[in-house]
Amino acid sequence: MNDSRGDIVYRMARPETLKIVHLDSFTAVFHRASGITHLVTSPVPEILAALGEAGMTRADLMARLSVDYVLGDAEEGSLDARLEELVATGLVAVA
Amino acid sequence: MRHVFQVRIGPIGFRIGSDWRAPIAQLETLYAAYPKPEDGVPDFTVRLFAARPWRRVVRPAVMIGGDYILPEAAPLPLAQGLLAAEMGMNLQMALGQRHFLLLHAAVVERDGKALVLTGVSGAGKSTLAALLSLRGWRLMGDEFALLDPATGLLHAFPRLVSLKNASVATVAAEVPADRLGPMLEGTPKGTIRHLVPDAAALAAMDAPARPALILFPSFGYDSATRDVAQSEVFVRLTQASTNYVAMGERGFDALTALVQGVPARAIDYPDTDSAIALVEAAWAAR
Amino acid sequence: MNDDTPELPNTTRRRALMLGAVGAAAVVSIRPALASTAASISTCEIPVPDSGRAGSYIAADGTVVPAGTRGAFAPPGRPFKGEEVKTALAGGQLPGTNYEQSRAYTNYIRRLQSGTSGFTCFASLQMPRG
Repeated sequence: MNDSRGDIVYRMARPETLKIVHLDSFTAVFHRASGITHLVTSPVPEILAALGEAGMTRADLMARLSVDYVLGDAEEGSLDARLEELVATGLVAVA
Repeated sequence: MRHVFQVRIGPIGFRIGSDWRAPIAQLETLYAAYPKPEDGVPDFTVRLFAARPWRRVVRPAVMIGGDYILPEAAPLPLAQGLLAAEMGMNLQMALGQRHFLLLHAAVVERDGKALVLTGVSGAGKSTLAALLSLRGWRLMGDEFALLDPATGLLHAFPRLVSLKNASVATVAAEVPADRLGPMLEGTPKGTIRHLVPDAAALAAMDAPARPALILFPSFGYDSATRDVAQSEVFVRLTQASTNYVAMGERGFDALTALVQGVPARAIDYPDTDSAIALVEAAWAAR
Repeated sequence: MNDDTPELPNTTRRRALMLGAVGAAAVVSIRPALASTAASISTCEIPVPDSGRAGSYIAADGTVVPAGTRGAFAPPGRPFKGEEVKTALAGGQLPGTNYEQSRAYTNYIRRLQSGTSGFTCFASLQMPRG
């Protein structure tokens, strides 16, 4: 089945736009462009690290996470929800 | 402004102008031992004024103005003019302070290390700070903690301690009368009486301290102590800061460094004696 | 992580990662502090947008855009009281608005800068008691 969103590339916002500090189970992220501070928790730091600056499509991201981690709940909807959150807050950019 | 008073509290200088003599006279008495602003130049201005010329005399009502104002804020009766001046100074700091990250907290110091007591209004921060200052701790402030993002040090800002309702009697029992301001009844926050910080606090006003422990006190529960996770401390302190967002990245850096470098505990207490005991125990165990 | 062990794919050293439920949130944005305030403070008002740009529309992200911009929202027509904004910033909804309008207007309010009318009222919602 062809997914019209299948070729969207998601990438982490450029590093100079984010300041990241790890605090126990949460990570504090200062988004310089908006001046807003976000607190993010797993799986967000892992997703950001996987996407990196080069970025990848949703399918590639899912595949990559499956290799690096044991995914407990690998529904497509879950990853979509996380990506949507990240795009809405500016932590992830779409190409 | 016919009547003027200037005072320096820690690193901040204030100029208070007033249409009435009475609040100025009270400030002069209570802040008598404090220095004047550096080079005579205040950082913030507070104005106590009458909304209309006749309100200076007929049912006199004090409007709070200054560099930073709240539109449509209700005035206070002249009998509470001292409270208006204190609220005015709080307002200037809350809205205008940009050098220090402000935390709504009481701070006391021992051996160069600072204890930060933070939490919602009514948790007992001012009362605890006052009582600790009578038990070997130096009072650095009961309203705002001033965190310098460049150094991570807390700077003292020892204003008059604001005692409310039941805590007025608790603290008044332990201090001489000349350290207490007038009893103000029927204020928006109930009964208020101000306590002048002791000579030791004023003498050390310019000595900053390294934060060493953050406590979240809660009054009205059985005694208990709990660790608080860094992320929770971070979120609670952003809620306790009036200028975290305005400080931008400097605020983020200052707060993350504080949260990573300083342990935090929540303490529940049923009465002030228990509170003091829990504070001392938490300090010893930090 | 043991640096002596060579990196092997698909070993039992992989840890679990939960992607989370669709409705859950993994990102919490710090909102300005909402300390409780005296009644007088809550009567202050925030116009959306400020009077200098009256009539302009508000985009979903809170920026001010020309009137009629597609996807943006017409201004509410009356300023909001501090108390109403406080509720909205805590997750409620501004009165007389639907979900999207309320979100757009509160995003506008969050972006207020010093000097724009309504900023002082907004900032006052952060002022601690006492």
